[in-house]
Amino acid sequence: MMLEHILVLSAYLFSISIYGLITSRNMVRALMCLELILNAVNINFVTFSDFFDSRQLKGNIFSIFVIAIAAAEAAIGSAIVSSIYRNRKSTRINQSTLLNK
Amino acid sequence: MAIAEFLLFVLTTTLGGMFLCGANDLITIFVAPECFSLCSYLLSGYTKKDVRSNEATTKYLLMGGASSSILVHEIELQEIVNGLINTQMYNSPGISIALIFITVGIGFKLFPGPSHQWTPDLYEGMLHSWFSSFRDYECNRSIRRQKDHPKMIISWLLRTNQIRWFFFSIFLTCSYGTKVEKIEKNQSFTTTDEGFLEKLRIIVAFLSVTSKVAASASATRIFYIPFYFSSNEWHILLEILAILSMILGNLIAITQTSMKRMLAYSSIGQIGYVIIGIIVGDSNGGYASMITYMLFYISMNLGTFACIVLFGGLPPLAGFFGKLHLFWCGWQVGLYFLVSIGLLTSVVSIYYYLKIIKLLMTGRNQEITPHVRNYKRSPLRSTNSIELSILFFQN
Repeated sequence: MMLEHILVLSAYLFSISIYGLITSRNMVRALMCLELILNAVNINFVTFSDFFDSRQLKGNIFSIFVIAIAAAEAAIGSAIVSSIYRNRKSTRINQSTLLNK
Repeated sequence: MAIAEFLLFVLTTTLGGMFLCGANDLITIFVAPECFSLCSYLLSGYTKKDVRSNEATTKYLLMGGASSSILVHEIELQEIVNGLINTQMYNSPGISIALIFITVGIGFKLFPGPSHQWTPDLYEGMLHSWFSSFRDYECNRSIRRQKDHPKMIISWLLRTNQIRWFFFSIFLTCSYGTKVEKIEKNQSFTTTDEGFLEKLRIIVAFLSVTSKVAASASATRIFYIPFYFSSNEWHILLEILAILSMILGNLIAITQTSMKRMLAYSSIGQIGYVIIGIIVGDSNGGYASMITYMLFYISMNLGTFACIVLFGGLPPLAGFFGKLHLFWCGWQVGLYFLVSIGLLTSVVSIYYYLKIIKLLMTGRNQEITPHVRNYKRSPLRSTNSIELSILFFQN
């Protein structure tokens, strides 16, 4: 399998998830896109470590760190979403107009 | 809202910041700001009942999450470049792409010019919740009887403030002196100011200041060491960022009516000055000037956010030496355009600082005036001691 195919896949995932993060009205969907971004980066790491670093696998180890941090961030994001939901009974982002310029 | 969680968040945030300042490899550069940011999302969303702080936290979380992921993408590109650089690809486009990504990623953390949208919302949301509940606490004795209330500790700290300012400033300047020596010998770049911040100050001040300090420390390390050969490119990028942030921060601050937003925008402007220090680099003591300015920025902003009484005439005076040193180093290196814009925007910033002093003197905010008499003595003490010791160390 060629290197470029996998890189194109991860770039595609990255751009789709950034687009989703920016334009999603639902808070939970935004959190899912955040996870997707980190997963795209993980694919990149693993690919490069497989092709260039077969002895030390630095990229693979880094991707384990990224997985752990993505899990922690998802937990904190879910906590914030649940506190918003308790106050407002909805998770739409475009209702947040209290802090305006 | 028990106190155990509160202390845990504060301490873990500080820990993340300190790891970031002492980071030596790419994994730490990713994990430490994540640790810092995650705990600061929790701190900013600590008051669950207040809707405005919830909204501020949401914005902070999404922006911070996006920026961290962009940063990790850059780190991955950076690592590729390091792997490939053994096969002699010095000026490849990969380095430029990695550079752009990391500037964007760090740019979100430090919030210079283009990425400043979430800062005033965050400050306003957090400060509103913290300070309204704090005011209720002071005026309502039934809350005061709860022993494990975090506001009890904070109000005690604020009431017994004056002597601590004095000792704090002395200690800070002693530690500053040793750090400058280390920078000039190119040793490890660590700041330990955060360890004392947590004992003495209120949370928003803490958040705003330590994130800047940690992010700028990591920015200096990242830009100077791995990207040494392509220094022209990141000089240009950082110059653009510095100009944008100085102009935007100071101009928008003029038109603000809410004091918290004004402080947020002024802090954006300060970051522009700090970035000049980063650009100048190691020659002519550029890093030393950045640390000096950071020091003044810390004491200024801590006092500001801690009691919403700006030591307003004093920043143009006390921070004057810091700015002077920054601009002097910039001028010597040859960044004429940057330094002239910095001078112009400093003049502009004096305008809105003086506006706050005018409000202070006319005494419209009734609930602040008892605190004003308490704290009017402390800024004089702190800034004088800092100035004297700075002058002493520079000689």
